[in-house]
Amino acid sequence: MSDIEVLGLREIEKEVSTEERLITFYLNEELIGVNIKDVIKITKDVDITPVPKTKEYILGVMNLRGNIIPIVSLKKKFNLSGEDNLEKPMIVVVETELGHIGITVDRVEGAVNINPDEIQPPPMNSIGIDPEFIDGVIMIEDATGKKELLTLLNIKKIFRAENL
Amino acid sequence: MKLEFTDDMREILEEFLIEADEILSSLDQDLIELEANPEDKDLLNKIFRGMHTLKGGAGFLGLTSIVEIAHKIEDIFNQLRNDEIKLTSDMMDLIFEGVDKLKEAIEMLKENDEIPDEEDIKDFLERLDAVFSGGEVVEAEVVNGEGQKEEKQSSDDIEFVEGVDEDIKELIRKYPGKDLGEILEELILLPPDERPPLEVIEKLEKIIAEGKDVKDLIKPKEEKKEEPPAAAPEPEPAPQPQQTETKPEKKEEKPQQQQQQQPAKKKKSDKKEEVIRVDVERVEVLMNLVGELVLDRNRIVKLASGLEASCESTDTIEELLDSITGMSRTVSDLQDAVMKLRMQPVKKIFSKFPRIVRDLAKKLNKKVNLVLEGEDTEIDRSILDKLEDPLIHLVRNAIDHGIEPPEERLKAGKPEVGTIKLSAFQEGDRIIIAIEDDGRGIDVEKVKRKAVEKGLISPEQAENMSDKEAYELLFMPGFSTAEQISDVSGRGVGMDVVASTIHSLRGTIEVESELGKGTKFIMKLPLTVAIIRTLMVGANQRIFAIPLYSVVEIVRYEPENVKNIGQFKSFMLRDEVYLLFSLNELFDIPDTDEKQFIVIVRVGEKNIAIAVEELFGEEEIVIKPLGKLLENVQGIAGATITGDGKVVLIVDTNSLINDKKSQLVGVL
Repeated sequence: MSDIEVLGLREIEKEVSTEERLITFYLNEELIGVNIKDVIKITKDVDITPVPKTKEYILGVMNLRGNIIPIVSLKKKFNLSGEDNLEKPMIVVVETELGHIGITVDRVEGAVNINPDEIQPPPMNSIGIDPEFIDGVIMIEDATGKKELLTLLNIKKIFRAENL
Repeated sequence: MKLEFTDDMREILEEFLIEADEILSSLDQDLIELEANPEDKDLLNKIFRGMHTLKGGAGFLGLTSIVEIAHKIEDIFNQLRNDEIKLTSDMMDLIFEGVDKLKEAIEMLKENDEIPDEEDIKDFLERLDAVFSGGEVVEAEVVNGEGQKEEKQSSDDIEFVEGVDEDIKELIRKYPGKDLGEILEELILLPPDERPPLEVIEKLEKIIAEGKDVKDLIKPKEEKKEEPPAAAPEPEPAPQPQQTETKPEKKEEKPQQQQQQQPAKKKKSDKKEEVIRVDVERVEVLMNLVGELVLDRNRIVKLASGLEASCESTDTIEELLDSITGMSRTVSDLQDAVMKLRMQPVKKIFSKFPRIVRDLAKKLNKKVNLVLEGEDTEIDRSILDKLEDPLIHLVRNAIDHGIEPPEERLKAGKPEVGTIKLSAFQEGDRIIIAIEDDGRGIDVEKVKRKAVEKGLISPEQAENMSDKEAYELLFMPGFSTAEQISDVSGRGVGMDVVASTIHSLRGTIEVESELGKGTKFIMKLPLTVAIIRTLMVGANQRIFAIPLYSVVEIVRYEPENVKNIGQFKSFMLRDEVYLLFSLNELFDIPDTDEKQFIVIVRVGEKNIAIAVEELFGEEEIVIKPLGKLLENVQGIAGATITGDGKVVLIVDTNSLINDKKSQLVGVL
């Protein structure tokens, strides 16, 4: 956030201590953010080995530094429209109670700092993902001043044994 | 009772725990031997010493309830070895109970630094007292790691030269058989409040500084006791000229153990000081890293051979290849060495069986003799740990259903005492563990009838079934032949659990049985869980690895040998008919390409033909788990990463066929 000139010095300090850093990416046209603490690695163009006899949203497994990581399609998991690009997949590896899991995304946007106080409750008809897994939404502004709605996804909650 | 330990104490505690485990694990066996030879003095002495050591260690650490139990049992054995009382079966049960109490206490200590409250053992101690009232329990002495009546008595006989300080005299009496340096060390190791006053230690240091030792302070005395005659007349003081009996007694200990125990036992106690305790997790990490290294090595070897083919041979390349060969060898050795870290002798679980068999046989009024074989065979620790429950179950079964009551055995012309043999040996890269009894054997017809009754198979299937296949029924969920569920073997964990545990370890289980003669369960297990040899096959443009141990044969696919039988296909090979599946259909993946090869795999008692599209040959691979999300995928045992970084799934033939299993029974 480029608020430094706007806010007083004292407030900046306060601001910094409560700021949260997110990794943002697109699923279809929606900008999604997940807490950077949950993200292990972002990787692309990996080979995904399909695993037979598994749920449809499990695309397969990949090799991450010698470990086998399952890959999950959030689009399939939440019945969103659109297909995953399996030829050149973009994968965000997150840490969950079920170990490391890769999720396919359409495009990684980058990292952003937000002020948790500005988080709004999710709108009723948010992007088609069960509101249970959404922490809220927040309006962010990119370098050109363009405003965009960011949906905060609760990764930890999605990947709990009871929610799969 | 919760205990707190400082870091220093914790180290001592860990050593104590190792020692306690050793003592207690050999104790069961010793006690059972003792039951057969209640007069065996060597055995009585050995048990007595074990208890004494345990008591000493526990006393040092302030583990009061352990001290009390060990003390009582020690006392009992002291009376036994002095022929003051006679051992009865009731006493034996009580002693066993005491050993169990000690084991429990040690477990509690290991898990959460706790020992049983005195209240909890009071009842037991009173019962002990009631049975062994013959021997007056010596008033609880202040136990501090040594100081045992017998030693004290004999050391009281020591006559000192004149002018020896009283405190020093007392110390020498208290620590018989030790030289002054050792005594000093002992004192320093004592907790501060038990340590003698500082001036005593100073006196001791002074004497040591003067170059004197115990032998200079005591009069050589004619040894009237069992002291070896050679030692006494020796003019110049031998290293331990005439100390108490402790020393010779200790020397005796070794040959004794050699005689009664298996050779490895002795090895273990000898090695004790060279053992370090390592967190399993660290070994696990090491294992993983080595696995990575092996894969990297394979990758490098592959690249190097590519390089050799595409480049002109130069000295540099030659050298590179040489050093790669060298590295390759070292990596293999490293892999072996790390693998060995995880290996443990099966004795670790076998040693529990004499006791289990004894208790069970007694309970069921049967007479059973347990024979253990190949206890030193080593197997991966993680396999060993999972093996205990299945083995216990099988042994229970053997006693409960296999071995007949004594009258029945005599009537059948068999020896009254039944035999159960538990054996282990290595065969190539597999460990074979077998449980064999000479009981009544499995009644195939009865098994079939039961299976039909339970709706597991149809009567027609039962008719066409071979004996081997009928034995397989034992492992099906929902099957139990026990006419009435006894509390011994009918505990909810059935044979199906045994089989699935063995399968999950990538092992196999087979049954051999002859009616009236006995039954044998044979388990074949991998040496290690981490690395296996596999056959790489292709289906639908993907590669799968089939563990080589389940592969029986590989042949070309010949369409003319494939026939349809009912809903299944079959494959004819040299007069044998096998059920045929394609890997694709088993995995529910598209099935369009021509099949090229057939892999005959063994699933339980049956061989099944699996058609594949391609064959890539054999490869040694490191098994990696698929993670919690994909823990229970049917037909997949895990995955591996190949030389070029790709993930290849490992086929679990057993669970792969599982779906079809119930339909398959009786077919072919």
